[in-house]
Amino acid sequence: MRVVVLCSSPYSETGCATTARLAQLGHSPVGAITLPSWDQATLVRKLGQWGLRDSARYAWSKLSPAKTTTPKQTRNPYFETALRQGHNTFRNLHDVAVAHGFPVVVTADQNSQKSIAQMQEWSPDLAIFTGGHILRKPLLEVPRLGVINSHLALLPEIRGMSSPEWSLLCGVPLGVTVHFIDAGIDTGPILLRREFLGAAECGSMLDLRNRMIAYGIELVCEAVAALAVGTISPVPQSDRDRQNQFFVMHERLKTQATCRLKKIGLAAASKFDA
Amino acid sequence: MSNFFNRDPRAATDRTSKALTEGAGLLRGPHRIFPLLLKLTSDGLRRQFQQQHLYSYANTTRPTADALRSLIRWILNAQRPDGGIAAFYSLLSGYSPSYPEVTGYIIPTLYDFAHLTDDESALHAAERATRWLLSLQMASGAFPSGLHTREETPSVFNTGQILQGLVRAYAETKDADILARATAAGDWLTKIQQPDGSWSGPAAYQEVAHTYYSMVSWALVLLSEIARDHRYAMAADKNIDWALTRAKSGGWIDGINLRGYPNFLHFIAYVIQGVLECGILRRRSDVIQAASKPAWLLLRRFEITKRLLGTYEPDFSSGRDFTCLTGNAQMACVWSRLFEATGDLRYLNAALKMNEMLKQLLQVRGRRGVVGGLAGSDPIWGAYQPLRYISWGCKFFADALMLEERLTRFVEASECAS
Repeated sequence: MRVVVLCSSPYSETGCATTARLAQLGHSPVGAITLPSWDQATLVRKLGQWGLRDSARYAWSKLSPAKTTTPKQTRNPYFETALRQGHNTFRNLHDVAVAHGFPVVVTADQNSQKSIAQMQEWSPDLAIFTGGHILRKPLLEVPRLGVINSHLALLPEIRGMSSPEWSLLCGVPLGVTVHFIDAGIDTGPILLRREFLGAAECGSMLDLRNRMIAYGIELVCEAVAALAVGTISPVPQSDRDRQNQFFVMHERLKTQATCRLKKIGLAAASKFDA
Repeated sequence: MSNFFNRDPRAATDRTSKALTEGAGLLRGPHRIFPLLLKLTSDGLRRQFQQQHLYSYANTTRPTADALRSLIRWILNAQRPDGGIAAFYSLLSGYSPSYPEVTGYIIPTLYDFAHLTDDESALHAAERATRWLLSLQMASGAFPSGLHTREETPSVFNTGQILQGLVRAYAETKDADILARATAAGDWLTKIQQPDGSWSGPAAYQEVAHTYYSMVSWALVLLSEIARDHRYAMAADKNIDWALTRAKSGGWIDGINLRGYPNFLHFIAYVIQGVLECGILRRRSDVIQAASKPAWLLLRRFEITKRLLGTYEPDFSSGRDFTCLTGNAQMACVWSRLFEATGDLRYLNAALKMNEMLKQLLQVRGRRGVVGGLAGSDPIWGAYQPLRYISWGCKFFADALMLEERLTRFVEASECAS
């Protein structure tokens, strides 16, 4: 199975962990296409998402001198296994590429002619999207099977942004869906759809997200393996036109979602005690 | 609102002369030049450097209570000696005279604020405003159009908007005279209603029917409840049924019908708001559904692009690139009420973010008339009420913030209880 990984930045931990984990499981990518590390739009978005302090800490963790005796800490602690190599930790996509021998192409736009031409040259069976721009039809049509994505909620119930938070507030079970990307927002055919059962152990919303992202990478690898041997086939979403797109959640509602998460933990603890 | 400002549809010269008159205000008050230049510069710079992204407006940047207090302070400052509220504060000519229509529907906002914060000054302002409005009522029961002292022709829209204030004033004071005046206004409205449910003719703006008169229907439903007279609700139902015959399959409700002017978001939001409130009060799911279609469409646009355009062509196909802040505040109210009606938290989420966006545009510093106020447009030179801070913008934003406080408390309380 020829696989290409699409990343939002060479420093994207999700991108690095996905490529590293694929390689560990014997599906080393034929190449990776990434947006530049200083893509202005991404930078502005990350500043908005994380705030100045967290963004600065993250930048320092990535850009500080490489040769230290202690391994670098990952932002997502559940990526440790995927990103650890001996005493070192992969700091960026280039590190992973060197270790596993695949090329990395940097492009300012994943939908650009350059990006499409590179994909055509690699002629992949499958592409894995780990972040970046909204993908357009010309790019989506290049891989033989399509482009897959890991979505942090059960589809088709919760589409769009802040999906774990919306799942909690709407009373939809937490879960991860691996699906093909089509022209809509999270409306493509589904490959794998699994409930996430570890919510009770999560100390915070960030912890929940981190665990779900790591779980999503495992599901993506499972889907790739199953597609390679032909034991899985995509199932179109039944209610494609339903208005179940969700958007970035305001912090006042996020507080309520966190409340729900804590209740799940408390309920599990009291059940255990009983 | 603001029929006055769009008074003559045919003459561009009229608009030019108004602009010149307002511009002449700068000669009478040269001290206004500095705030004007400051605002022009700051809006220009902000537009140049502002970067919106997926996570814009998802965090609280200014406490809601603080923003609400500043808006109400702006409204109280705009109350004229006669008791009416000025339509606007112009950066060129200062405060306008009292405007009956706006004064009417600001009354419920003042009462809501007074109850929320035990603020006596808002209570007194509401009472003064009511007394002033009663002094303007015509023998027919109607209220006049335009700014005070300008016109003595009856106006359907102004009567409806003032009726909202009178109904609330009666609910608060139980003054029989106020109820009698309110029913006189309601009787006049039902009397001149067309057989198809619309209002047209000499008392309608440009003498044609408008779907944004759904706001008049909302006032009639409120009157019907307080006067316990079903006739007013029937008249409102009839008007809403007529308005919904203008609804297109894509959600657009046609019939704003302002000849010579674009469809400002303010008027689009009026249509939706009036229809929705009638649907909620009359418990008509078909009407709520009709209002939710365009509201959802605008919600998606706001969530995806983080802004709404200042005007829209029919079917929301395109529009002009500026922000009609009043329309945005109205949409925050609409989304909040849709959350109440449907329980769909995405509406509340969008309202919270819209409120954040508007909070960031409230003037924190400046002279009286500017500080705490909401401008007509962003940037200030945008096509809707350029170079003005407008009282109805402050009113709708204050309503939106009070809804936010009430609904988030409700969500938090139900979360704790569950």
